[in-house]
Amino acid sequence: MVAFNKVLDGSNGPSGFGVHRHRVVYFVLVGLFILQSGLTYTVSTEAASPAVELNDAAQRGEALYREFNCTACHQFYGLGGHMGPDLTNVTVAAGKGPDFARAVIFHGSGLMPNLAVSKEQADDLVAFLEAVAATGTYPIRSLDLTPWGTYEQMHSDAK
Amino acid sequence: MRSELTPAKGFVIAGLLSLLCGALFGVIGSWQHVLPNFVDAIPFVKSRPLHVSLVIAWIFLTAVGGVYHYLPKIVGVPLHSTRLAWLHLAVFIGTGFAVIASYFLGRFGGREYWEFPPALGIPIALSWSLLIYNFFRTANKHKGPWPAYLWMWATGVVFFLITYAEANLYLFPHFTSNMVRELTVQWKAYGALTGSWNLLVYGTAMVVMERSTGNTAIARSKLAYLLFGLGFTNLLFGWAHHIYPVPSALWIRILAYAISMTEWIILARMIHQWRATMEDGKNGSSTLFGRFLFASEVWVFLNLGVALLISIPAINLFAHGTHVIVAHAMGSTIGINTTILFASVFFIGERAHSGPTRAGFWIFNGSLLAFWLCLLGAGMVKGWFTVMTDLPFQKITEKIWPFIAGFAVSGIGLFTGLSLLVWGALKVLLASNNKEEGDAHGTVELDAIPVENRCPSMPEKVMQHQR
Repeated sequence: MVAFNKVLDGSNGPSGFGVHRHRVVYFVLVGLFILQSGLTYTVSTEAASPAVELNDAAQRGEALYREFNCTACHQFYGLGGHMGPDLTNVTVAAGKGPDFARAVIFHGSGLMPNLAVSKEQADDLVAFLEAVAATGTYPIRSLDLTPWGTYEQMHSDAK
Repeated sequence: MRSELTPAKGFVIAGLLSLLCGALFGVIGSWQHVLPNFVDAIPFVKSRPLHVSLVIAWIFLTAVGGVYHYLPKIVGVPLHSTRLAWLHLAVFIGTGFAVIASYFLGRFGGREYWEFPPALGIPIALSWSLLIYNFFRTANKHKGPWPAYLWMWATGVVFFLITYAEANLYLFPHFTSNMVRELTVQWKAYGALTGSWNLLVYGTAMVVMERSTGNTAIARSKLAYLLFGLGFTNLLFGWAHHIYPVPSALWIRILAYAISMTEWIILARMIHQWRATMEDGKNGSSTLFGRFLFASEVWVFLNLGVALLISIPAINLFAHGTHVIVAHAMGSTIGINTTILFASVFFIGERAHSGPTRAGFWIFNGSLLAFWLCLLGAGMVKGWFTVMTDLPFQKITEKIWPFIAGFAVSGIGLFTGLSLLVWGALKVLLASNNKEEGDAHGTVELDAIPVENRCPSMPEKVMQHQR
């Protein structure tokens, strides 16, 4: 970092980017990035209610979700693989629910392999899926577009 | 006469082999969408991370190889420590084998794109620190103004480490106990991480253009610094278009929307520049690296157009979670990054190229176009039926099947093209003893590059327009 600072200090002579105002802009951007990160890590992603916080079982379920690499095939909020369905609201969707999810986890279904998990592990995975479902709704099917190119739910679900 | 193996060449050769293996696992994974039992021994849950990690490794290895190769020539002094560069390569490759082994054994534990057990992230971060140290100790000796590409590389190497660390914050309960925070921070880190390696790759493109044209003014122009600033701003603040549907604070999403829209400036500049190039009848296609640079411009144009459209929330509503996003990711990593990196590799190789290598160029680009269009088609159909109907996932999957079949078939063409290119690149790299590489610590005057090897490419036109 000493070398980095030396360059930024302009000790290497005049620089196309070493002009004072350019360096100020660079570090203002970095400062804003730090501020943005701090907000994103805290108040701007606070849970709307205690129900959204993952309890112990849900946190164990989340770890299992990673260990089985479920994200290779499944998504939350449209983020993840495309081989299987999005799981954001699987435990609250009509015709599905926690028992449906538990059965698929236990026995597999179609392309979904049997994960060979214990009953406790299946319960933890379902607890995790229920906690995810409590955070919001996906996919968004209301087409309330605004003149600004956004859509209404983007505004209404904001923290 | 065979050339001496340098750390830079070691990185590039490892990158090429990584690309070949990654493309092979990509073919397996794509066919598993069509034939679910295809290559049973490597199920999709393994083939996907093998494909993704190896292709990302290709980008890192080759971009870093380019930095190690060009930096001493730009600064005019030897790399601060060749030994540290070798150590970096050894740790990177060793960790890479451990990652691959963990996937084959089904030992996961990380998150999407970095599914390996998080402990393996430690050697990756430590070896990257060696690069940062070596880079700044060498770059600091540069006399006079830093051209834009040095700033791109400096920012890219530092922010890679910062955002890679951020991508591992999920190890702390503060982040994992809240899924909205977990997803938001994950994609914040991934967006910036991608921006970091893009700075390394785009910096390399600028170096190849400069060294092939002999035009040193291009990387020192106000426009070059402006574009760097724009890219840096997007790296820092433009990530949240990945998470419009995630219920985080509104400002996070609106800020990303606003920042993303600044990229229209880049698109407008490209169109302006292109018109000038076409009027002049020059497209830089007389050399293989020139062709790759030109192809990268085409892919930047196509992908930037898609990126801008899907950054508009109303359009993102339909595209998010579909294969449109995959098309964008593939177009960026294969279409842009890979073509730029091949330009760099063939420029380093600087030898006449055989017919099969040139055929590889066309097979690669043609297949990629078909591949990209199939993904866009699948994504648009899926997006429409997902948002506008209540059709279950299985029914929507049936509707996009023809596109997925086309994607799998074109994937074979892509693999064929890449294989020819990798083979050609390995041959020239292992056989070359060119001026650039002859002395690993030497410097090369731009005037020393033969006229026939120079790329009559766009920078000269850009400069004309700036004037």
